Amino acid sequence: MKKMDISTILASAIHESKNQVGTLLYQLQGLKEALPSNNANESKVTMIEESLKKLNDEWVEYLYLYRLASNGYELHVDTFLLDEFLDDQVFALLASANAKHLDLSYHCEKSLTGTFDERLMTAVVGTAVYNALRFAKSKIEIHASIEKNFLVISVEDDGQGFKATPEDEDTLNSNTGLGLYFAQLSANAHVCNEAEGYIKKEQSTSLGGAKLAIYLPQ
Amino acid sequence: MGLTDFSSHKALLIEDMAEARIMQKKMLTDFGFQSIDIAMKAETAIDLLKTQSFDLILSDYNLGNGKDGQQLLEEVRHSKLIPNTATYLMVTAETSIEMVMGAIEFQPDGYITKPFSQALLQRRLGKLLEMKAKLKQVNIALDKKDFPKAIEEAYKVIEVHPSLEGKCHRVIGECYLEMKEYRQAKEIFASVLKNRKMPWAVFGEARACFYLNQLEQSESKFRQLMLDNRFFVSAYDWLAKIKIAQKDNAAAQAILIDAIERSPKNLLRQMELGKLSLIIKDYNTAELAFRRAVSLAKHSCYNTAEIYLNHLSTFAKLSEEAPLSSRQKETFQSTLKKIHQLFFDDPAVRAQTYSYETDIYLNSKDPNNAKNTLQLWIRDVETGIALAPTNQQNTHYKLVLEG
Repeated sequence: MKKMDISTILASAIHESKNQVGTLLYQLQGLKEALPSNNANESKVTMIEESLKKLNDEWVEYLYLYRLASNGYELHVDTFLLDEFLDDQVFALLASANAKHLDLSYHCEKSLTGTFDERLMTAVVGTAVYNALRFAKSKIEIHASIEKNFLVISVEDDGQGFKATPEDEDTLNSNTGLGLYFAQLSANAHVCNEAEGYIKKEQSTSLGGAKLAIYLPQ
Repeated sequence: MGLTDFSSHKALLIEDMAEARIMQKKMLTDFGFQSIDIAMKAETAIDLLKTQSFDLILSDYNLGNGKDGQQLLEEVRHSKLIPNTATYLMVTAETSIEMVMGAIEFQPDGYITKPFSQALLQRRLGKLLEMKAKLKQVNIALDKKDFPKAIEEAYKVIEVHPSLEGKCHRVIGECYLEMKEYRQAKEIFASVLKNRKMPWAVFGEARACFYLNQLEQSESKFRQLMLDNRFFVSAYDWLAKIKIAQKDNAAAQAILIDAIERSPKNLLRQMELGKLSLIIKDYNTAELAFRRAVSLAKHSCYNTAEIYLNHLSTFAKLSEEAPLSSRQKETFQSTLKKIHQLFFDDPAVRAQTYSYETDIYLNSKDPNNAKNTLQLWIRDVETGIALAPTNQQNTHYKLVLEG
């Protein structure tokens, strides 16, 4: 038998699984509507829904990761109003944050615009926020600003910060490491006038926890 | 959120999977849409779009065996079946989104990736309609083909909503192309490129260069687009045009054959290949291209007699070279039958069809059938339902049949 590329097989298996998660989400939505409101199981159903949504987002991340790593990702940049883009991200992730009793908010200038691949940055911000959900004590903030010729999108929390978990450094063995690798490849894929995007892991000055900053050349 | 009043809006929902269709219809109903038409495939959607107008089209990318959502979009936009003021939202999966984004020339107003919640769809729709409202005067002018007015309105929008600058510049550039003001078009697209390499701006500048006869510059830009973008097959059509302008028809044909391998369901491209192949006397390729065009035409906006007549003409040419095989005769008869069914009320089409038929019988050394066809033709001319043979045709037929 012809030997097949295992990463391609895994990617297509992930794709199949992702579609099944999608079907489950649709069915769950139907179930939710059939249940009377204020029933005892509402919070459980919400939890299942949030978990499935997270699973779906993770599969998407892995699919993009596979394509980025195998040079099969085509970057499609467009110019966006950051206020709108971040509002969308918070909207999609707020339920997950609220389920964990965490605050999630975004901060940027109303008129700030930036040029980037929307799908990729949606997945990166999602990954960073899901990661922050595990470590934050009470809140997570997303910030966007321009530094020289780079758009900077950062996700900050009030948890222990990167320093507290040194075993995560440069390793892909943990969820966090994989997420960081994905963020890095996504940033690198953005190139403008020979400047390449990159990420920075820092301490959040305002919240005291971890800060993941994604630098995108403009 | 949820402030938009959808009750007066007409929606068209195009989705082949029953479960998703029921879910999406319910969502639209919950948003307040009172009129929701449903199509399970692209062909049905085209029939609906031909007879009705919609404010919102929500279409899945995957539509079963027929045309996909992108092909549907291209066809209805190209043939102006949907006005610019309508909103087109495409539902995609992770695998199909690149084909939608890569199309550049014909993009939906927005897209949403499966799976999505009701809240997310409502939000997307609300934002899209808000954006379309800001561009309303621009789109009204575009629908009227009043391009100077559209440019004027687009500049007004930039003043009030700077975030729509990209969209407006694109409209302005396209308007200058429509007005054949190629220098201004190139200037606009190039000014966008200074800031950032937007594919639509590269595409615009490449076309402006083509019309300004700066063919080499145009070619290099189209090649760059093809390199960045596997799914942008339109670039091949333009490269073929460049090759034709450079009088290299063989290279143009090779490019079109390559493009058709990538995207075989594009009727207009099949027609281009057929016409080009006729010019370079490659009648076999021409026949194949027009045959495919005929089979694609049935459920298309471009279902014109020209396609069928072109197909018949290739058999007239082929029969000059060698007797037609039984297979070719069958194909000829099949297309002939379709012309009879669809276009025989048109006197010009009728005459053209008779002339090809006569040519083929004459080439096949079958004078009896040629005579019969001519008799039918003359009878139809007398009753006024067919145009008369031209003088040239008459001389030719007399010469062959009596000589």
